Amino acid sequence: MQFWYFLTALTLLSALMVVLSKNPIHSVLYLVFTFFCISGHYVLLNAQFLMAVNIIVYAGAIMVLFLFVIMMLDLRRNMPDSKSNLTKLAGAILGGTLLVILVAVMRKTQFPQFSQMGGKFDTQTGMVENLGQVLFRDYLLPFELVSILFFVAMVGAVMLGKREAGERNF
Amino acid sequence: MNSIIALSLFGIANLFLGFLNNRKILLPATLAFVLVALGLNLADWNQEYLWFNNMLRTNNLSVNFASVILVATFLVVAVSRGFGDDEEHTHPAEYYAIMLFSVVGAIMMVTFENLIMLFVGLEILSVSMYILTGTDKRNLRSNEAALKYFLMGAFATGILLFGIALIYGATGSFNIHGIEALVLTAAGGSAPALLYIGIVMVIIGLLFKVSAAPFHFWTPDVYEGAPAIFTAFMSTVVKTAGFAALFRLLGGAFTGVYGTWIYILYFLTMLTLIIGNITAVYQQSFKRMLAYSSISHAGYLMLTATAKVAHTQSSILFYSLAYSVATISAFAVLMVVAETKESNAEKTNENFDIFNGLAKNNPLLAFVLTVSMLSLAGIPLTAGFWGKFFIFSDAFQRGIVVPLVVAVLMSAVGIYYYFKAIISAYFKEGDVPAIELKPIYKITLIVTTLLTIVLGIAPDLVKSIF
Amino acid sequence: MSLVTLIPLFPLIGFLINGIGFRHVPKSLVGIIGSAAALASFACALSLFIGFSGQPEVTHLFDWITVGKLNISMSFQIDQLSLLMLLIITGVGSLIHIYSVGYMHHDEGFGKFFAFLNLFLFFMLLLVLGSNFVVMFIGWEGVGLCSYLLIGFWNKNSNYGNAARKAFIMNRIGDLGFLLGIFLIINHFGSVEFADVFGKIAEGDYESGDKTLLYITLLLFVGAMGKSAQIPLYTWLPDAMAGPTPVSALIHAATMVTAGIYMIIRANIMYSLSPETLEIVGWVGAATAVLAASIGLFQNDIKKVLAYSTVSQLGYMFMGLGVMAYSSSFFHVMTHAFFKALLFLGAGSVIHAMSDEQDIRFMGGLRKKLPVTFITFLIATIAISGIPPFAGFFSKDEILAHVYEHNKLMWVVALAGSVMTSFYMFRLLFLTFFGEFRGTHEQEHHLHESPITMTLPLMLLAVLSAIGGFFNLPHIFNGHASLAEFMSPLFAHTHSTAHEADASTEIMLMVISVAAALIAAAFAYFLYIIKKSVPAADGQESGLKKVIYNKYYVDELYDKIFVTPITVLSNFFHSVIEFLVIDLIVEGIGKGVKILSGEARLLQNGTTGYYIFAMVISIAVILAWSLRAFLF
Repeated sequence: MQFWYFLTALTLLSALMVVLSKNPIHSVLYLVFTFFCISGHYVLLNAQFLMAVNIIVYAGAIMVLFLFVIMMLDLRRNMPDSKSNLTKLAGAILGGTLLVILVAVMRKTQFPQFSQMGGKFDTQTGMVENLGQVLFRDYLLPFELVSILFFVAMVGAVMLGKREAGERNF
Repeated sequence: MNSIIALSLFGIANLFLGFLNNRKILLPATLAFVLVALGLNLADWNQEYLWFNNMLRTNNLSVNFASVILVATFLVVAVSRGFGDDEEHTHPAEYYAIMLFSVVGAIMMVTFENLIMLFVGLEILSVSMYILTGTDKRNLRSNEAALKYFLMGAFATGILLFGIALIYGATGSFNIHGIEALVLTAAGGSAPALLYIGIVMVIIGLLFKVSAAPFHFWTPDVYEGAPAIFTAFMSTVVKTAGFAALFRLLGGAFTGVYGTWIYILYFLTMLTLIIGNITAVYQQSFKRMLAYSSISHAGYLMLTATAKVAHTQSSILFYSLAYSVATISAFAVLMVVAETKESNAEKTNENFDIFNGLAKNNPLLAFVLTVSMLSLAGIPLTAGFWGKFFIFSDAFQRGIVVPLVVAVLMSAVGIYYYFKAIISAYFKEGDVPAIELKPIYKITLIVTTLLTIVLGIAPDLVKSIF
Repeated sequence: MSLVTLIPLFPLIGFLINGIGFRHVPKSLVGIIGSAAALASFACALSLFIGFSGQPEVTHLFDWITVGKLNISMSFQIDQLSLLMLLIITGVGSLIHIYSVGYMHHDEGFGKFFAFLNLFLFFMLLLVLGSNFVVMFIGWEGVGLCSYLLIGFWNKNSNYGNAARKAFIMNRIGDLGFLLGIFLIINHFGSVEFADVFGKIAEGDYESGDKTLLYITLLLFVGAMGKSAQIPLYTWLPDAMAGPTPVSALIHAATMVTAGIYMIIRANIMYSLSPETLEIVGWVGAATAVLAASIGLFQNDIKKVLAYSTVSQLGYMFMGLGVMAYSSSFFHVMTHAFFKALLFLGAGSVIHAMSDEQDIRFMGGLRKKLPVTFITFLIATIAISGIPPFAGFFSKDEILAHVYEHNKLMWVVALAGSVMTSFYMFRLLFLTFFGEFRGTHEQEHHLHESPITMTLPLMLLAVLSAIGGFFNLPHIFNGHASLAEFMSPLFAHTHSTAHEADASTEIMLMVISVAAALIAAAFAYFLYIIKKSVPAADGQESGLKKVIYNKYYVDELYDKIFVTPITVLSNFFHSVIEFLVIDLIVEGIGKGVKILSGEARLLQNGTTGYYIFAMVISIAVILAWSLRAFLF
């Protein structure tokens, strides 16, 4: 339990740092760290496969892509800090309010203990085999249809990314 | 269900047709695809099915909604003219394919039985729309609109997903009937707060998609920036699908905790009606006016979503159909006029004054425009009148007085800006050369106009089916 | 598709062909299409009549409007009443169509005319076929529209246009009553179907004199007053003579104006339960009958005389309704359709021959030039005057007998009207067909009998006018009263209190009225044949005659009572109220909305960050509100 609190605190801290740090490269690195923390949560939840996938896909592939983009765009020169202090303050207050509301509501909720649920603890729940069973048996249709989503995104990316004759250069 | 599979395959087929270098074949092929899908969809009539481990449910309600969506798609495709030799539109095969895919998403939103399906369907539809919004790559506004739409859409999707996760946390189920049962047992007051947060967030996510105030901010900018044909698609198909999903959730899974959301919806309905109608008054751009009009129509439809009476679903369906048909004809007229002016090397905007003097040389177009505007404004003897009438009478039966009064007042405001287009077409001086319409275009316009009038005279022809 | 649907469909098709193809369809074809449409409907109606089982049949076409529990469907009802009306409308209508082929041949708007005529027929058929009040109302409004179009057919003359407008407005006043009546029916019975509404009443839950029924029947009667030209809404009908003569014959004599009577007979079960209304109906009818007849005495326009005569005859029909002699009234509707159509068509033939001269002071001696017209006109005159054995005698005497049983005073009034009728009709006949020709030389040269398309309908109608009475030969002449017999199921649930007069009274009444009619005719003969007097020129009448000639100044009265105050009020509204209310308040609202709109527009400033900020605020507020129970 102590470890869970420690991990959670770490996750929140690093997530905050993603937003707060001025240097985009630092932000990305904090984000990578956040993902690792979240993967840690997956392990605590006995979801080893998700942990692995999370690290490989998000922390590995996607974040590296982010870094590339940031380096190519050379953001430091192009991005003056456009937000005024007032806006920042308003944003902070608003975010804080939302947080307070959610926390206040959650406090009133009684989460049932696992033992009360009457279920048996299955060590194999988060393993690849079980996940595969669920994914390809119960959730086959959404799994297949997600391919349409990716397909659309792919077609769109190619179509929009391709340079046309006479296209404006920004 | 079969229509989902068919449309997915047709979309891929469309991409391959793009290799043929023959643009002419695309339009008839796509029309045929949509028709086949419509046929497959209608084949499910009067059968109640659950598909793939309770992922989808097809019944008459879903068939009706899907039919309205497919009919709207068919009409939009028909007025696209295969994107002709349009310089804006260089990849017709891809456009059609994405449109077909997006209809897959829309039908998923209509038939979903599991919140995962709702989410995937919504994402397919939304991502397609982000792309279609940005297809006019030379136009800065189009690019801007696509990016804005994407950013805000992603935000709203995040909210929706968060909501779904919380509902799962509270009930342990994604299945809407499972949720309904749990919500009903929990309604006594023992429900965890998570459930309420989840429900409110899911509703907010969907309200964003149907552009209800105060989540409507994307609508005017996106509608204005997107190419007119895709705006027409967006304002009909997306809206219908969004309301179908909202209706199924509010009328089914979430009914148990009625008290949580009903007053919010009352309030947002009024806000939507007021913002949509009032802001539309000032607009100079016809497209932007239609964007606000689409917001205000979302308000009318929300009025039914709050009225739980037996006829509500048929009222929503009738309204969606009437609204879609009228909107598509309005956009079609706008497109053809704007294009003609452009080809005459005139500087065009999409303002009201583009229609100045339209009636002189193009009586048909002016008439089509007039009928569609009258229908949108809800003048008797058009389908739009009955749409509003049914919705208002539902609301009245339910006793929702204050929002109803606001709705009636605002529909009076609506007449003002819809008539601006008619006035431009008939009474203002201007010069629109006689426009030669392609046969399919002409037929579509005549069909939409006749449909509006026939439904205005005999609404029960269709309403009795719904 | 059943025969019932075909009946209104034929005229509709005719209208579409002639209307859309106006100026493109060759003239020879226009008349054939128009007449064929009417004849085809007649054939259908006839075959329905022959195959009629005696039970009402409702043909449901489609649900028209469903609002809550109220379902208004487009459906047709075939029963005794609608069948008879169908036969009259399509039968007389066909003859008038054929007649029009000849009469309107030289007119530019020939195609337009037939299109309108067919459209009229369509709406009239809808009116009588409808199985509920709403379909009836559609037909009711439709015939009003066609009547407007046809009265103002020669729209180049602005007087004709005004006459059309007058007819339309007067009818609208009546329609308002009808419409309110329908609303009341919907409100009270929750249905507009005849079967439902009358079925509920037939169950016997309603006392005689029920208040709701009283209001409903009164409102419906207001509608009938407008359409059937009763006091005070009758003044449009004489003015409606501005239309072409076949129109006057079809719409303003045979069919449309009887719609009010049709409606009351249809709703007889309601009327029978509200004796107050019936009393009003009866007296309004009596007053109209005598007033219109007296105006008819001194009119000089051949069509105006007939118009007042129509108003007066309609008054008789209402009188019959008022004493619950429904089948007698309907019998009069039928015979009146024959002889009045014949009179109008005969008048048309005369006008045609006289090169559009309508003033009887410039006619005379036409009997030799227009023999067919003369004979048929003579038959019709005898029929309308109530001289046996022609049609009008039987129907009118049936009504008179019932009126006598009900109220002696009303009978005296009716008899007075009948005397006047006989007088003005014979006056018309004598002035037109006897004596010397008084028109111009050119007109005399031009006189000719009309073509066969015009005389054939005249002859057929003359036969019907002559023998029409035998359709309902009363028992005292060893008849079977077959019409009344046929119609009796319609009144099965009506608690009728009308009692039959005994045979001797009936014969006595007949003798009185026939004698009176003959005396009046003889007086006319004395005045216009023997003394050869010709009515004075305009403005030279004196005393009572002047008042009557000017139609009791009713038009002027209406002008003073309604039009002038409305004009004054309208000026007041225009100058004061419009400025104060419209300009300041209404336009103020408009401007306010516009200003608000200008402000609201600024919410949309184009910045994504701002939009999302606004959305998050909204989400926070919504969450806070909906979760307020958990927060504190």
